[in-house]
Amino acid sequence: MYGNTSLTEEEAKRLNLTEEDPIKLAEFEDRITRGEKIEPGDWMPKEYRKQLLRMIEQHAHSEIVGALPEGTWITRAPNFRRKLALIAKVQDEIGHGQLLYSAAETLGKTREQMLEDLLNGKSKYSNVFNYPALTWADVAVIGFLVDGAAIVNQVINSKGSYGPYCRALERICYEESFHLKQGHDNVVYLATGTKHQRAILQDAINRWYRPLLHFFGPPDRNSQHSEKLMKWKVKLASNDDMRNQFLDQYVPKIWELDLTFPDPNLKKNDDGIWEFSDPDWDEFKRVINGGGPCNAERLEVRKYAEEAGRWVRNALMSKNEKYVMPMA
Amino acid sequence: MNNEGLKDLLYKMADDALIIGHRNSEWTGIGPMLEEDLAFSSMAQDKIGHAQALYKILHEILGEEDPDKIAFLREEKKFKCCHFTELPIGEYDFSLVRHFLFDHAEALRYEMLAQSSFQPIVLLAKKIKGEIKYHTMHSDSFLKQLGTGNEESHARMQSALNYAFPFALGIFEKSEFENEIIADGIFAGEEELKKRWLEKIATIIAAATLKLPHVDESKIAYGGRKGFHSEYLKPLLDEMCEVVRTDPEAEW
Amino acid sequence: MSSLDPRIKRLDLKKTEEGEVHTNTHLITWEVFHQEKRGKQPMHVGAVHASNPEMALLMAKETFGRRGKTTNLWVVKSSDVYTFPTEDEDMFETTPEKMFRDPAYYKVRDRIEKFQNKQKV
Repeated sequence: MYGNTSLTEEEAKRLNLTEEDPIKLAEFEDRITRGEKIEPGDWMPKEYRKQLLRMIEQHAHSEIVGALPEGTWITRAPNFRRKLALIAKVQDEIGHGQLLYSAAETLGKTREQMLEDLLNGKSKYSNVFNYPALTWADVAVIGFLVDGAAIVNQVINSKGSYGPYCRALERICYEESFHLKQGHDNVVYLATGTKHQRAILQDAINRWYRPLLHFFGPPDRNSQHSEKLMKWKVKLASNDDMRNQFLDQYVPKIWELDLTFPDPNLKKNDDGIWEFSDPDWDEFKRVINGGGPCNAERLEVRKYAEEAGRWVRNALMSKNEKYVMPMA
Repeated sequence: MNNEGLKDLLYKMADDALIIGHRNSEWTGIGPMLEEDLAFSSMAQDKIGHAQALYKILHEILGEEDPDKIAFLREEKKFKCCHFTELPIGEYDFSLVRHFLFDHAEALRYEMLAQSSFQPIVLLAKKIKGEIKYHTMHSDSFLKQLGTGNEESHARMQSALNYAFPFALGIFEKSEFENEIIADGIFAGEEELKKRWLEKIATIIAAATLKLPHVDESKIAYGGRKGFHSEYLKPLLDEMCEVVRTDPEAEW
Repeated sequence: MSSLDPRIKRLDLKKTEEGEVHTNTHLITWEVFHQEKRGKQPMHVGAVHASNPEMALLMAKETFGRRGKTTNLWVVKSSDVYTFPTEDEDMFETTPEKMFRDPAYYKVRDRIEKFQNKQKV
């Protein structure tokens, strides 16, 4: 799973390239324009390294924090099939985190430093995981729609310029297709089931609708676009484009089950663009800044995991080994 | 062949696997290292899979209910798991020691069952041999490294072992059909299993520089095989069955 | 804080320490190679953190072998892998031009046909 970790555009505006060697910078940019990937040992602008690291790191955090909302139902899945699928799915989120931390490490920051920054509030993760999973139907909606949104994002990012991130994303997208299928399966069983099942499903869709619109970040009109990050293929599509692609793919799949989204203005225009009501971007900001229903718990649980596991890691650590970053 | 004895054996194996798998799955997402989180979760999934396979044999060959009903809609006193599997996950030291002690007993049990006169269990034993091999390899590696790691890890592992051992011995509580299943060649019996298990774990525990505690017979946690459980099973089952019980007739 | 997750409720979250978290427990980094089938090349798939080779293999199995087929895995310490610096990529630049190493470079069909036509006359 994944969230909106698109760069904040205030940062992007401050891109400072005057210090960079113009010849190396030109070679670097030519390489990207030719469609070649950048590999860890390559020369890269400081700003490229910084923005990319931040993005991959936030993505990694989103995976391990994203394991928590669905983890809420791990002990309560209603049959063998769902129980095994849910455990395997939550496990995959941790696996994706593992892959992404490795990719981020190749840019020069250790996994431990990244985890520290997460726990100390210096590094963010996707907003969508600050909402609670209130009923079993939330597991279905998260598995289908939140993972669906994540896949839109990740497939686009896998065409980016940094080799290790692209490789991690390819593997992740392959595994996410299982998440999506099991999520859809779960949604369909609830939608075609009893009155009670349909009711909890509709309720969950109603609650996740706004966070899903928030998922891709603020509308393009409110955010400065960084041409540089687009040129460097760090960012590959605008927030609105990704959101539109998501709505286009997933709204019909909910409607065909005779379920609704809680927005009378949600519709596709003749030009292919989806229209929807303002999803309250102030709430988005509030939640990002720690005011969401589950922010405190998510960090507290990660902190517990970190501290409770410390003695294990300490005992396994060999003091004579220097830290070495992964190769690729 | 003694069907009651056979069913009793399969039920206790399946219930053990389900409950310990359920418990161990609780670590998914909150383990001590990302890689270990993945490994421990996979093993929990394997255990739940073993339970499902055993319930399927009970259902398809011995006429019991279907696996989902058996697992998710049975009353507590019908469960035959041992107390050891029911205990909460505690800290990682306990979960690892339980994994070590339980999985060796399980591995040896399946090894013995590979010679069983009951063909379906022979086939299952063959199928999951590799999975279980990984489980014990994993547990042994951790036990040795943490037993010899540093002062804290050694102390933690020893005290987890002291706590866990009387419960672990409860795995070998005999069934009322013990003699029949031995006579029928279904299973060589709990006494034989326990003997092999003690031999097996002794060398690994020694390599981990840990000491096997002495346990009085009176301290062994028996009862599970006869449906008398620890205080932890009922809440575990209530939780596990919470969703399905909101609408037992629904398809989930 | 009252979690909706029964697992989390059972954890003693109050036990977490106040203030900033510090952690410096780097395990060893290992590169992982995965062989899907017998007869296929083992391929580099990524890295794991682990304390020794045995543990690296155990961890690699579930990190990179959870799905599909696996025949074997290799692990090697990242610090034991040597590579050229990337700016030396230019050493390989002219290699694709060395057509004399390429089977497609050797085309004689035209010549044979020409010869045969000549013979017919």
